[in-house]
Amino acid sequence: MRVRGMERGPREFAEFYESTRDDCLRIVLLNVGDRHLADDLVAEAYTRAWISWRHVRELEVPRAWVVRTALNTHVSWWRRRRREVALGDHDTAMPAEQGTAVSRDLVAVLRRLPTRQREVVTLRLLLDLDTETTARILRIAPGTVGAHLHKAVATLRAAIPVHDSQEISK
Amino acid sequence: MNDNDTVAMVRDSLATARDSLAGVHMDTPLDAIARGGRARRRRHRLAGAAAGMAVVAGAALAATTLAPSGPSSSPSGRGAGQAPAARLVAWTVDRQANGDITVTVRQLSDPAGLQSMLRADGVPANVTALGHPDPSCRPYPMSRALFTSVYQADKTAASGDTVLVIQPSALPSGVGVQLGAAVGRDAGGRGIGRADANQAVHHAVHQPAHQAGAHNSVVRAVLVYASQQCTGS
Repeated sequence: MRVRGMERGPREFAEFYESTRDDCLRIVLLNVGDRHLADDLVAEAYTRAWISWRHVRELEVPRAWVVRTALNTHVSWWRRRRREVALGDHDTAMPAEQGTAVSRDLVAVLRRLPTRQREVVTLRLLLDLDTETTARILRIAPGTVGAHLHKAVATLRAAIPVHDSQEISK
Repeated sequence: MNDNDTVAMVRDSLATARDSLAGVHMDTPLDAIARGGRARRRRHRLAGAAAGMAVVAGAALAATTLAPSGPSSSPSGRGAGQAPAARLVAWTVDRQANGDITVTVRQLSDPAGLQSMLRADGVPANVTALGHPDPSCRPYPMSRALFTSVYQADKTAASGDTVLVIQPSALPSGVGVQLGAAVGRDAGGRGIGRADANQAVHHAVHQPAHQAGAHNSVVRAVLVYASQQCTGS
């Protein structure tokens, strides 16, 4: 049972933070590819979640809100950064993942997907939400989720090498 | 291979990519998140209160600006509630009623004076001149959330001014602020943001051409470990 008010709020938020932060960070990191940036984006998203916890805790999937907020913040920071000056452009892209070559290729393609397709892939395949939930979170029709996913998967599929099942035996 | 198989294959591959990040952990402590949230909530409340008071303050401000005041070339510091004594100064330090420190920089001359003023206001501070980094200071690693809870840029500042609002209460224990002059490469607008892996931040200062020469000066604001040598406490 959820209790309204702030008495249980801090404890609930602490539990939520502890149980979801690493997963959210990894998902955002897959999307942006820069460890420092991912840390900042996720910290910013959790800070906003802390401020709006009464609202966020009532959402269907609070961790999806965190991931989406972090990714949206990335977009707005990127736009704002283009208007900023004297930053030295020293933001270093760190190698984000140590996975296989296939993983790296796949993630590189993921990062190049159009924003909406990337959101759908993130919610459907990385956060493992169903189509209806994804549609409600993104406020689009379930059919539109399916269409975005179809296009995104077709693009991502190209980054995965095909292994022919017919092996030649000696 | 049908559509479902393709989705399943991509899902598995993404899961593999995510599994490769198993060693990646979110290091920001919960306290830092809560501290940043509290600071931002407080600022929002103050902004709301300030907007409510603006109408009342308008009449008083009009009277103040009509009063004669001579320009000064020396830096100045003022406490909360005191009316501005001079406007054409290199820098000013204002302590707000809520404890925030507003630093307005037009020209980063007399860094030692600015440093003393900040320390007198209770801020562990180090201010360096262009090309004179202080070797006694060690940078404190920080997230953007921590940075933005300590430093705020006042984008309403008049052209030519750099205004940083420092919130001392958001400083973690044993941490101080460091401001330093630097030279930017871009002569565009003003801004605040991350500059390097240590998350140093530059805030551009537009100076008149005869002061700035071919370069655009910036104030570099970072956090450092507090120490007697570096920040005075």
